Amino acid sequence: MNIENIKKQFPIFNNKVHNNDLVYLDSANSSQKPQVVVDRIYDFYTKEFSNVGRSVHYLAVAATNLYEETRSLVQKYINAKDPNEIVFTKGATEAINLVANTFGQKFLKEGDEIILTELEHHSNYVPWHYLRRSKGVQIKFAEINSDGEISLESIQKLISPKTKMIAITHLSNVTGAILPIKEITRLAHSKNIPILIDGCQGAPHLRIDMQEIGCDFYAISCHKMYGPTGLGILYAKKKWLEALPPYQGGGGMISEVKKDGITFGDLPNKYEAGTMATAQVIAFAESIKFLNQIGIKNIEKHENELTKYGEEVLRKNNSVTLVGNPKNKGSVLSFTLDGIHAHDIATILDEDGVAIRAGHHCCQILHDKLGLAATARASLGIYNTREDIDKLNESINKCKKIFNK
Amino acid sequence: MDLKELYQEIILDHGKNPRNLRKTENFNKDAKGHNPLCGDKVHVYLKLDEDKKVQDISFEGQGCAISMASASIMTDLVKGKEEHEVKEIVQDFLEMIKKKDKLNNKILEENEKTKLMCLSGVKKYPMRVKCATLSWHTLTSAIDNTQEEINSENID
Repeated sequence: MNIENIKKQFPIFNNKVHNNDLVYLDSANSSQKPQVVVDRIYDFYTKEFSNVGRSVHYLAVAATNLYEETRSLVQKYINAKDPNEIVFTKGATEAINLVANTFGQKFLKEGDEIILTELEHHSNYVPWHYLRRSKGVQIKFAEINSDGEISLESIQKLISPKTKMIAITHLSNVTGAILPIKEITRLAHSKNIPILIDGCQGAPHLRIDMQEIGCDFYAISCHKMYGPTGLGILYAKKKWLEALPPYQGGGGMISEVKKDGITFGDLPNKYEAGTMATAQVIAFAESIKFLNQIGIKNIEKHENELTKYGEEVLRKNNSVTLVGNPKNKGSVLSFTLDGIHAHDIATILDEDGVAIRAGHHCCQILHDKLGLAATARASLGIYNTREDIDKLNESINKCKKIFNK
Repeated sequence: MDLKELYQEIILDHGKNPRNLRKTENFNKDAKGHNPLCGDKVHVYLKLDEDKKVQDISFEGQGCAISMASASIMTDLVKGKEEHEVKEIVQDFLEMIKKKDKLNNKILEENEKTKLMCLSGVKKYPMRVKCATLSWHTLTSAIDNTQEEINSENID
């Protein structure tokens, strides 16, 4: 696999940042887009645009077919049983909100418990927090170990007869820990507890097979997966999508509307109220094809090697401390630098064209636990190379020089 | 060259060895500030004497070099000033950091203004302006006794 050839498919790298080549190390935040995705959006708007699922004219039929084609592609990509188990949302955040809201409405009562972990992104905590307020449910946090991992045991010991949902990340966007989601799913199901996986960081980097994992819900963020913004996916087992009430009301999700009553549409329309992010859905088909073309095994291999190289280089740099040391780690390198705040690091690196993220990365619970106000984070994508890691390290050394460290 | 303008020697010095980083004993006014985006926190303590003059000012907190240096320089410059003068300096600084080229107040000496102008490099980094202004907004809150924590996401 030639990474330079893959990188050439991303037009963003033709641009300079502060007169330097762009070293993009912020893919956990959002990935860059290949030309095919950008072109697909342009082509759809210029040649094929219509709303979907409503009108019967030529353009509407063609657009509807394209829209449903993406659903089938996603179904195959994640090995869901049925295309109707794929619901398009405006993001992974909305996907999790959809589950928390509808599941909470229908199945939760005061005193029920939900298990999350200390690694969760705010988008897999805040939606559940609403249920704490509206329903009086309790939230328990499984604790990380000293390597920043979540073990099966840490979840196991929180399970009680009152546990009604387990919602956990697939891959931490801070420590990079990959959770044993298959084992946790087996454990949850042995106690009849449904499980939601926040797959924002998992889906772009790891092979995901819904039959193998067996989870009830899996949330995906398309813009982290070389796809357009404004689009997320909720995978949910059909039995749940049938059992849960609709999330939002509006056009497209109904069956019959009378003055004295409304019946709702079949799956998947029941959860897709209003005009959806049509162009984004259609363009996301190109992201899936792009991933398929490279092959997820090749992606895993490349990113794994690069993460190991990154760890090696940063460990050798004696002012750098890596955050977390998980055995099973995704392509995230969070770090602190002795006596230099993460925001100062990010500003200085930016001058060299090195784009990283600084802050709490929407994980305040974790940063509080680690006793860190902010961390710097370099996260990798398929277009990154060893040279990018070397440039990161050079710029870190420049920070040290500026601060006389 | 922008980076050198931002991280001038004086900023690095105040960032590394902040002045007045402590808690004033017997303070009579205080306020907290927080920038949730980057986790910067500051707590400003003021001791005003009977004539409403700043007898002592200090701060506790943590943050980036810019926010620590800004709080440090601020506490140095307002010490000994009268309350209304402090408010004028704060106002002048906040206007400078957002839009003006220079400081217009007649309270600070020229060399003090030069020191404060070292923070003006932050203008070219809109995401970092809040780092420089957090402690100043917090000082205003302390003086006005608003008892409200300053949240940098809710201010200009």
